[in-house]
Amino acid sequence: MAILKVESLNKAFGGLQATSDVSYEMKTGELSAIIGPNGAGKTTFFNLLTGYHKVDSGSVSFQGEDITNWPPHRIARLGIARAFQVSNIYLALTAYENIRQAILSQQKRTLNFLIPATRMAKKETRKLLELAGLSQHAGRIAGNLSQGDKKRLELAIALGCKPELLFLDEPTAGMSQEETYETMDLVKRLNREMNLTILFTEHDMTVVFGYAKRLTVLHQGSIIAEGSPEEVRSNELVQKIYLGEEA
Amino acid sequence: MFKYWWLGLTFIAMLVLPLVIGEFWIHVTIEILILGLFAVSFNMIFGYMGQLSFGHAAYFGVGAYATGLLMVKTAIPLPVCLIVSMITAGFFALAIGYFCVRLTGIYFAILTMAFGQLLYYVIFQWYSFTGGDDGLQGIVPPDWIIGVTPYYYFTFFIVVAALIVMWFISASPFGYTMRSIRENAERTQFIGINVRRYMLINFVVAGMFAGLAGGLLGPFNRSIAPDLCNWHQSGVPVFMTVIGGPLGFLGPMIGSVIYTFLFAFVTGFTEYWPLTIGLVIIFVVLFVPGGVLGLAQTMFRNRGTNDLIAEAKGSMDTETS
Repeated sequence: MAILKVESLNKAFGGLQATSDVSYEMKTGELSAIIGPNGAGKTTFFNLLTGYHKVDSGSVSFQGEDITNWPPHRIARLGIARAFQVSNIYLALTAYENIRQAILSQQKRTLNFLIPATRMAKKETRKLLELAGLSQHAGRIAGNLSQGDKKRLELAIALGCKPELLFLDEPTAGMSQEETYETMDLVKRLNREMNLTILFTEHDMTVVFGYAKRLTVLHQGSIIAEGSPEEVRSNELVQKIYLGEEA
Repeated sequence: MFKYWWLGLTFIAMLVLPLVIGEFWIHVTIEILILGLFAVSFNMIFGYMGQLSFGHAAYFGVGAYATGLLMVKTAIPLPVCLIVSMITAGFFALAIGYFCVRLTGIYFAILTMAFGQLLYYVIFQWYSFTGGDDGLQGIVPPDWIIGVTPYYYFTFFIVVAALIVMWFISASPFGYTMRSIRENAERTQFIGINVRRYMLINFVVAGMFAGLAGGLLGPFNRSIAPDLCNWHQSGVPVFMTVIGGPLGFLGPMIGSVIYTFLFAFVTGFTEYWPLTIGLVIIFVVLFVPGGVLGLAQTMFRNRGTNDLIAEAKGSMDTETS
């Protein structure tokens, strides 16, 4: 059964059709990418899947359950986490506290009023800090972290939700080349070792071709091509509207 | 450790205080404690949740009237009355907060204030039940705490107990969830938290402690008046928190010490109290934006460039090792 099934999704903002009749499916354990030029509707697509925007028409289901227009917190509870394109973290809290907050929420302990949070989820938080390569920054205020570390923290927060399906919106935006490959290797490992289903967007073509097994190309809100990296690379329409621009 | 040592010393000083100061100043200290509790409860919404409630006096007033009415009209013991005060104030906070947590920022402030004023006018006009603008007289504390010193100890222990509970709430996962909502409500939704519901729960808890503070006031003054619910009264915890500092747990209490002490002192020789407090607020906002507690924290911390970080790291190491 498909872990994610999207059927003819539509969303318009004013006169702009941001998502136009998009249907999409993912199998458990997949690592796939959505590419497209800026403004193609990649982030809007994620926003529709995670409840940030209400859909105009169409449906989204997760493991067979219809989650169309559910509020974000319920979708998150169900096992779908997302990392944002512009890191969306708790700037005044420490890196450690950022991650712990996600874990405590996932463990349903946020209605605990009387036991200090410092005593909870220590092991899980440390493990995630290490996984994201942030151990040495554990006690730093998140706002003081470098851009790359903020993005890694963003990813760690999403992982703290213990998702089954993870959306990563340009997970390497603003990173150096070295950091980019480190992060993408981590994404690959999460996919392989933890059998996490991951869908990410990316504009750096080399990154996409190196990691995703299946590519979907969005252009002006519609899917114009889908397939293996090689198939997409050789697609004429894609070359014309996307690769042509990049090259 | 220095912090706990300092707290212990303050606790002992507070215990011997009534033996060394005169009756007038014991009175002032009781007021400091009651208004400080009120201000700390306000700061659960302002400092921790990041929203300005400009109608917090509503719950203070409801608490005061609940205990006041019960003591005037029934023979229910005071501690039970105080619990009823908390529950009643919490109920009002639930009904009002249900609408307020849908908004944030200035709209939240305006709506909390509007509901507060609504309640004020109801209490002000409902002569048959609340005594209207005459207020309630003859709220006499029970025999075992009659007199200013016994009432001081009674208030002191209740306020300390309430502060301890509130401190635990601020350090709990719920408290951190409030900070996360303050910092980034959107992110908090996406980690699975129903932001509005959590805000409402916090609003109710804050209202309950404001109600407790209000309940302590009637037997202390032997009377209460509808002005307790008025928007002037809602400004009091705002001023106290700004003076003391919203980012430390005890900031509002320190603000209450300064505000209430100044009030007692200044009104002794001049009627220009609003002018005085206005100047104090302007000074604090311009020159000590983190409040007195914020200033103290920066003075202790800013020895090196990365002290804040080192401090955070240090506390984390002790917490996690």
